[in-house]
Amino acid sequence: MIEFRDVTFVHQTGKTALRDVSLKVEKAEMLAVVGENGAGKTTLVKHVNGLLKPTKGTVLVDGEDTRLKSTAELSRKVGIAFQNPDHQLFSESVEAETTFALKNFGFSRELINQRLNWALQFFGLDEYRNSSPLALSGGEKKRLTLACILAWDPEVVILDEPTVGQDAIQKEKLSGIIKMLRSTGKTTIIVSHDVEFIWPLQPRLVVMSQGRIVADGPAHTLMGDEKLLEGARVMQPQLVKLYQRLRRRPDSPFASVNDARMWITGPVGVG
Amino acid sequence: MYWVAGGFIFRRVDSPFHSLDPRVKLLISAELFVVSLTAYSVTQLAVVMGVMLCIAAVAKILKRVGRTLVFSAGFSVFIFVINLFARQSLLTSAIYSVRFLAIIISTSLFFITTSPDELEQVMKSAHLPRDVVFAFTTAVRFIPVLMLDAIQIVDAQKSRGLEVEKGNLIKRVRKMVPVLIPLVVNSVIRSGELAEAMESRAYGAVPRPTSLNRYSSSKRDKLVAAGSLILFIITVYIYVRFPTPL
Amino acid sequence: MGEIVRVENLSFRYPEAAKFAVRDFELTIKGGEIVMLAGPSGCGKSTLLRTVNGLIPHMYTGEYLGSVSVGDHKVSEARMSELAQTVGLLFQNPENQIFMFSVERDIAFGLENLAVPPDEIRARVDEAMRQLGITDLAQRAPHELSDGQKQRVALAGVIVMRPRLIILDEPTSLLDPKTAVELVELVRRLRDETGITFLIVEHRLELLVRIADRLVVMSEGKKVLDGRPEEILADERAEAYGISIPPVSRLRNQLKRDGLPLENGFGPDELAEELNRQALKR
Repeated sequence: MIEFRDVTFVHQTGKTALRDVSLKVEKAEMLAVVGENGAGKTTLVKHVNGLLKPTKGTVLVDGEDTRLKSTAELSRKVGIAFQNPDHQLFSESVEAETTFALKNFGFSRELINQRLNWALQFFGLDEYRNSSPLALSGGEKKRLTLACILAWDPEVVILDEPTVGQDAIQKEKLSGIIKMLRSTGKTTIIVSHDVEFIWPLQPRLVVMSQGRIVADGPAHTLMGDEKLLEGARVMQPQLVKLYQRLRRRPDSPFASVNDARMWITGPVGVG
Repeated sequence: MYWVAGGFIFRRVDSPFHSLDPRVKLLISAELFVVSLTAYSVTQLAVVMGVMLCIAAVAKILKRVGRTLVFSAGFSVFIFVINLFARQSLLTSAIYSVRFLAIIISTSLFFITTSPDELEQVMKSAHLPRDVVFAFTTAVRFIPVLMLDAIQIVDAQKSRGLEVEKGNLIKRVRKMVPVLIPLVVNSVIRSGELAEAMESRAYGAVPRPTSLNRYSSSKRDKLVAAGSLILFIITVYIYVRFPTPL
Repeated sequence: MGEIVRVENLSFRYPEAAKFAVRDFELTIKGGEIVMLAGPSGCGKSTLLRTVNGLIPHMYTGEYLGSVSVGDHKVSEARMSELAQTVGLLFQNPENQIFMFSVERDIAFGLENLAVPPDEIRARVDEAMRQLGITDLAQRAPHELSDGQKQRVALAGVIVMRPRLIILDEPTSLLDPKTAVELVELVRRLRDETGITFLIVEHRLELLVRIADRLVVMSEGKKVLDGRPEEILADERAEAYGISIPPVSRLRNQLKRDGLPLENGFGPDELAEELNRQALKR
């Protein structure tokens, strides 16, 4: 669905933000891109909808070179939810805000109405239909930006740091939405440095550091590699650390991480 | 946008011109501005431009001045054409368009070589009210931040299908709404947070705050200022006393 | 050390609001403590912080009941300039609290406002930069700095006022986890070196529980829990109040409920130790 072929990207300032990045994402896959601030995560995903075009190499979306299309064209298939809702809300009403993209993409009036109603319902924003988007709370604004994107039903959904500034309840809701995306076959990419949020989703993990992809594999494997995570300045999820520590003592009764996991989560009091 | 950036944004450089007292730099810039504005012959313009390019060389900013010239060339040509339409001679039109370039360079010389810190210093020594100076310097400090905001907003709206390039003039103006509103809203939010931070750090506690840095002009500054004044007076005298025809 | 903060029966309602943002709030903080404040979005944390540093009621008016004292000052009666020298507030977004175009000028900002003599400003700015480890950034412009560096610059600008209490409003929300850990370590070091009291609002509890002396939980304007962090995290009610319990703490609680004799604690390392010991016993 998405392919990066030896992509290098250099900013106008001369800074190289991506180096020799190669990546293939299949349809309906769920991917989490982790790494410290400045590692190139956001730069990477901005290439998927054409906001940035590679300096070297090629980015293909559904087989087409992104260089040949505008961001607006690519966005029809690739929706990116950026971090800051205040960077996009502008309409007089939540309804107008939600239909903005639909109108830009030339949806028919019936389809617009249908998608609008679905989006407002699903995100619990129907009661605010006629309110100003600017008057909503932080969490509601975040939901609104997601609603705006899912309204046009892109095949690929990219979330850029979705958990920043969100409290526990809001994160729960987000988790639920992401699981829904996965179950409806969307290709989902989450850029985040919040490993505790990502861990339960068990995605494919792409670790970035200084513009390169330093690791690409299942989360449950990579998250156990302390050296890798240290080098990329990524935290290890607490539970993974726990399982590893359980195994660490020479006289530990656990022979493998699985043992530890079973002992903890299985019936307690065995023995 | 690059025109503005190239011609007017300060960047730190180690040069004898940069290290002058900013008030002296302002003086030189003002003198050059007046001389450019009142030049009316080819020789005069050539000399003024020559002098400014020499200063730019001393200040190690020739490349940026060159870029400013290139970006201003468009408008300069426009002035040339307008004058032709107004039935001015080729030579007069040329002089007007080059004069425009000279004016731009003279002001740009000041802004490229003067840091916002020094700008503040100049404003303070002009005894402008403290609030005005503070508002100005804070605004300058946030220019790069606002520029970044604007880019992020445009990115976000493009990602919702906004085609900024297409459409006739009216459509394009309407398309600025989804960019301008978030920009303004963000600025308002930002101002609110700044106000809180200002209060929390005792802004306005005393009528006359002190300053970390003390500024005084050196002998060199005074010499350069005096020298430039002398040259300026001589130039004005020459303009008036020997009005050379085109 | 004595009390630094005393909040008594505090209630505050914004002018247009229907509900009180803070209700009957009681809080005492002793000198040198590091106190964490947690609660879901909208619970009134930001409002509470502003009643402690004086923005409420001096900048924001509304219905104000009860009292807040910081150091020797009663907040509602003292002037902001006096309060600024007793309590500093580090806001969430470091960008919007850096005014000047060079780091050292910005750090000096508060002292300039108080008409401190230039030589003393110089000395104190240098000291603050040293404490925060940013001396090499002195001449840099703020937009050239990383988020973590901006955070330090903003903190330097607060600490230079030599306050007795520093409030941090979600200081790590824009930082990546490693930078956040560094900031937390910095806070602990500052408290140990200078004795400054810290009140920190934070969602990511696991970052701070190690250094905090107390954890206060707020919900719908009221204080609902107040105690040692490991006790609060073990308290069943905590999660119901909408704060995010770190995964290992949650597991610890679950195992205790299932009958394992575990103590209160944090972190994977401690829990692993205990579990290994438990397993070996069998």
